Amino acid sequence: MRGMKIKSAVHYVIFIAALFVVAGWSRPGNAASQKLVLTGASTIAPLAGELARRFESLHPGVRVDVQTGGSARGVYDSRKGTADIGMVSRSLKPEEQDLQAHTIAWDGIGIILHASNPVASLSRQQIIDLYSGKIINWNAVGGRDARVTVVNKAEGRSTLELFLTYAKLKNSDIKSHVVIGDNSQGIKTVAGNPNAIGYVSIGAAEYEAGHGVPIKLMPLDGVAATVANVRNGTFPLSRPLNLVTRTLPEGLALEFIEFARSGQVHDLVEAQYFVPVSVLLH
Amino acid sequence: MATLKSIHACRDRFAQFAIYTAAFMVCAAFVWILSDLVLGGAAHLSWDFLVDSPRDAGRAGGIGPILVSTGLVLMVALMAALPLGWTTAVLLAEYISADSSFGYAVRYSLHVLACVPSIVFGLFGNAFFSIYLDMGFSILSGGLTLACMLLPILISTADAGLRAVPDTYRLSAAALGMSRTTTLFRLLLPAASPSLAAGLLLGTGRAVAETAALLFTSGYVDRMPGSLLDSGRTLSIHIFDLSMNIPGGDARAHASALVLITALLLLNVAAMRLAAGWQRRRITE
Repeated sequence: MRGMKIKSAVHYVIFIAALFVVAGWSRPGNAASQKLVLTGASTIAPLAGELARRFESLHPGVRVDVQTGGSARGVYDSRKGTADIGMVSRSLKPEEQDLQAHTIAWDGIGIILHASNPVASLSRQQIIDLYSGKIINWNAVGGRDARVTVVNKAEGRSTLELFLTYAKLKNSDIKSHVVIGDNSQGIKTVAGNPNAIGYVSIGAAEYEAGHGVPIKLMPLDGVAATVANVRNGTFPLSRPLNLVTRTLPEGLALEFIEFARSGQVHDLVEAQYFVPVSVLLH
Repeated sequence: MATLKSIHACRDRFAQFAIYTAAFMVCAAFVWILSDLVLGGAAHLSWDFLVDSPRDAGRAGGIGPILVSTGLVLMVALMAALPLGWTTAVLLAEYISADSSFGYAVRYSLHVLACVPSIVFGLFGNAFFSIYLDMGFSILSGGLTLACMLLPILISTADAGLRAVPDTYRLSAAALGMSRTTTLFRLLLPAASPSLAAGLLLGTGRAVAETAALLFTSGYVDRMPGSLLDSGRTLSIHIFDLSMNIPGGDARAHASALVLITALLLLNVAAMRLAAGWQRRRITE
């Protein structure tokens, strides 16, 4: 009995040792094959993952790892060198001009309401009033008599920054009732509340509205919120999806960025409901 | 007298009704969740779904690499946390008295550790394992971060289990001239095995359900991991991404959640069986 106990302890030690040997042994293997790390915007991450998969299949021996965490993380990691390429789902700010931005696609941001909401259009001023708490009932903009539920994005999200620029508001001015993170979460929140107003990526909203989710996209400044209007440049609230690097890209990073901007990935960009760069007219 | 009796009977019946309702509501919540998952996800479940790689950002394909990554992260976490945790529990319960200042300090730090939100563990794991120890986004750093999270659960359940073993066991063993180590391995640990198993299950459940701590440590890559130093997406991160970030990912998210729950149920049954068997064999032998 005693013998068996010692044997099982020995087994455990051998197993652990083997584990570390395997872990240590595979390290030089990884270093030898080329590896590219991307971190940043959760909006771009699914697209970048698909780009990475196709890039890997064309370049055997290359690994492209895609991590998320938000645009702010993409900027931070590419500055620090933790990531080879950062993903930022907006234009670079003035204080970020030390980085190089490479646009791989465009995305629009649209205001969404519940499909049963009778309000058909909202002016820019009405949107500002709704978000800053000056209008708290839908009947002030021609809707039914019900309290407005304002759905806002979390701090650090590019969509929030873009919306604030459009509405000329500070985040502290916004009287929000619900704060959300990713696009699909916003769509689910509005779909579950007939009196909610929110703003999300147009591609995602168009897809969900087309698949029976009870939401509707509102026109902005009289322009319908469609991927087509983002593509022809008339929609007022659109943003570039950028890959950023600390220096001028070279080697594998350059190859990947050129691949991501090329015509051979248009199908992948469109499959994620974004507008490919070279198709855009402006 | 008669009215008093009827009031009492009425109260009894009401209490009974309330108790049954509460129990029924607990069951209903579980059934509701499960049926929601089955309705939404069962149509997508197939052998191919379990072994294929995800395609089109998870809208198509399966969860093969994600299951492998989840298993590996869990294995690393348990491998690191179990020996450390159970040894500490033995120290706390058997080798130092309950009111010693050292025991108090260890227990207090465990309580604090148990209260820490998982995202804090994630940031710590990212800063320490991924960056300071240079493991990068890897299954190893994710597993070790999880191990830190599991320690409080494993230690406090094992500690409580060992303390619940009656002192007569220890006295009888001492009277029979058994050494302290023999008493521990042949008597106390087997007697406490149900709580060890319960702690193991709670820990596994928490580990498999973890999203926040793993997003910044084991990462988001949905490729089949080649070694423990590769990044690997776990099942709960996959479910979170599909339902919150991918338009049209809901059906696959339901199917993945169904797989997760089924795996946890199987694990539950297996661990209970194992613990019961261990307890019977060691003590009666």
